[in-house]
Amino acid sequence: MAAVNRTLRHQVIRIYKELLFLGREYPLGYDYFRTRLHKAFASQQHLTDEKQIKQGIERAEHVRKEIEALYYLKRYRALRQRYDKV
Amino acid sequence: MFRTALLRSARQAVRAAPRWSAPIARPAARSSLLQAKQITPSVRFQAVRCYSASAGLSKDEVEGRIMDLLKNFDKVTDTSKLNGEAHFHNDLGLDSLDTVEVVMAIEEEFSIEIPDKEADAIHSIKQAVDYILAQPDAH
Repeated sequence: MAAVNRTLRHQVIRIYKELLFLGREYPLGYDYFRTRLHKAFASQQHLTDEKQIKQGIERAEHVRKEIEALYYLKRYRALRQRYDKV
Repeated sequence: MFRTALLRSARQAVRAAPRWSAPIARPAARSSLLQAKQITPSVRFQAVRCYSASAGLSKDEVEGRIMDLLKNFDKVTDTSKLNGEAHFHNDLGLDSLDTVEVVMAIEEEFSIEIPDKEADAIHSIKQAVDYILAQPDAH
């Protein structure tokens, strides 16, 4: 059980790190992103059930994809605006 | 391997130096000057530093850099407790997520990558300093 918990813990830490890296480019600023991310992870710290933790990790993955999509959209809009204005 | 090759070429350069100066007919006083000038490059050869060598960080330097890093970390409110032995959780009041952030900052400061397992074992400034000192490629 402990070994499973440790791998889950590493997974959680990894996704937290990935999200932090992504947060550096966040439109509202890194500090805004970081405090919220921290709060979101801290609010789930009571979870002990393996299944629930896995669900949480999946949710974090989903959020990561959303943020990536947001960045792509932002870049697309910026490019489009520049090309359309000409 | 590289160093021996360098030393060998340096030695050859030194050996060749008198031969060059010999055919040129010049007053004795000047030739001795000339020789001295041509031997100096061998000293420069030996001063070449291998880039694979460790950066040679001292313990105080590592500790100082980590302390500065923590001083600028906004979650550390009580800087008076900041010393070489400080524990992230017990003394500085950081939770495990903050510790992850601190470890990330340390990774960037010393331009290394700390594997998850080792990163998880760092709970205090002393452990971080010991880990950095054990890494040959930390800068």
